[in-house]
Amino acid sequence: MSCPKTEHLLQEYFTDDLAPLIKEEIENHLNFCDHCREELEGLILAQSSLNQWQDQRVPHWDRGRELFRREHRVPGSRISFWNKLQWVPSAVSFAMLAILLLNVNIVSSDSGVSISFGVNESDSVLLESRLFAFEQQQEIAINELVQRIEDRQDSNNIELLQAVMDQTQQTTAENLDLIYAFFEQQRLQDLEDMRVGYQELVDSDYATIRSLQQIAQFVSYQGDIR
Amino acid sequence: MSLIDEDEALIAAALNGSAYAWEKLVKRYESKIYNHGLRLMGNSTDAMDLMQEVFLGVYRNLHRFRGDAKFSSWIFRIAYNKAVDLSRRKRLLSSHTRVGEQEETDVLELLPGASSFEPEKMVGDQEQNQQIIAMLGKLPIEQRLIVELKLFQAKTFQEIADLQDISENTAKTRFYAALKKLKVVSEENHVLS
Repeated sequence: MSCPKTEHLLQEYFTDDLAPLIKEEIENHLNFCDHCREELEGLILAQSSLNQWQDQRVPHWDRGRELFRREHRVPGSRISFWNKLQWVPSAVSFAMLAILLLNVNIVSSDSGVSISFGVNESDSVLLESRLFAFEQQQEIAINELVQRIEDRQDSNNIELLQAVMDQTQQTTAENLDLIYAFFEQQRLQDLEDMRVGYQELVDSDYATIRSLQQIAQFVSYQGDIR
Repeated sequence: MSLIDEDEALIAAALNGSAYAWEKLVKRYESKIYNHGLRLMGNSTDAMDLMQEVFLGVYRNLHRFRGDAKFSSWIFRIAYNKAVDLSRRKRLLSSHTRVGEQEETDVLELLPGASSFEPEKMVGDQEQNQQIIAMLGKLPIEQRLIVELKLFQAKTFQEIADLQDISENTAKTRFYAALKKLKVVSEENHVLS
């Protein structure tokens, strides 16, 4: 059943600062008008379902950083000075590379500074012997290290094995206890079952004897009558 | 330092060329604007477009911000104008491409919430949000904007009226009509589920 007041009333209901008098009037109407009340509940439900919104994360973007930097680039002396020196790291890297590749030797003595390219023979022999010694030294160190790692690994393995065995032993003992307890319980159960069985058998025997006695009495009674 | 003071400090620093301040300012509002775009446009691509246009607008007009109003109100006013522009552009584009194809097309079908509404493009698997977007997508853009301003940005009807250049009563009527439509959609969803 519709109500002519619904539209106006509910529109007012969602007003920002509802006057207390109007609020009271609306509430009074809602108390007896099922149609308006149901309509309002539906509207509030729809409104509350929108309130379930969870803010989603913004996909990656550059936040206008490039644009900002481009347009705010200050043509001042400090920036241009540093800009001028931008080639320095590249040049230094290139020079270092050239020195390494060309085996440049710079020797400073009393007679002055001499620069030579390539390696002379005595230097080469010395370098080789030093390299050989260094290689041997490294090999010994590595072997020692490997040995230490192996030892440590062995002791770890033993400890692990020991722990596993202890655990297994304990578990086995617990399992045996459980099995023993089960068998013991089963034995007691069987004994009880047997006792009950015997009791039933005895009761049945007594019942048979009583029946036989009754039949005998009946037969003898019949005989007496005849 | 309050949030408003901090905004003003960041704006001042950004105007002086601090990229760090600019980025901080953007970070502070990007989530709100992006989610605002998602609800209005219905998909993440358009939401991103809207967000970028908003921040470009902010960047271009930052020097005009006088601090008479809160920065958040100012940025959302830009967002509102951009959303209306973007919707209009998309509507024109849709109608242009459809000329001669369907002469009797429902106007509502041309709005972003209807034909261009692409919930499958949504980022993430936030089912709840997708349902909300689907519900909002059933509303014409004018009503969707009112719902956005009223429920998600907690504006008063007077503020909405000023923003949209309509009367307060029209704002109330539109909001009520939107809620009624949402109620019907919500009930249909419950029946279907």
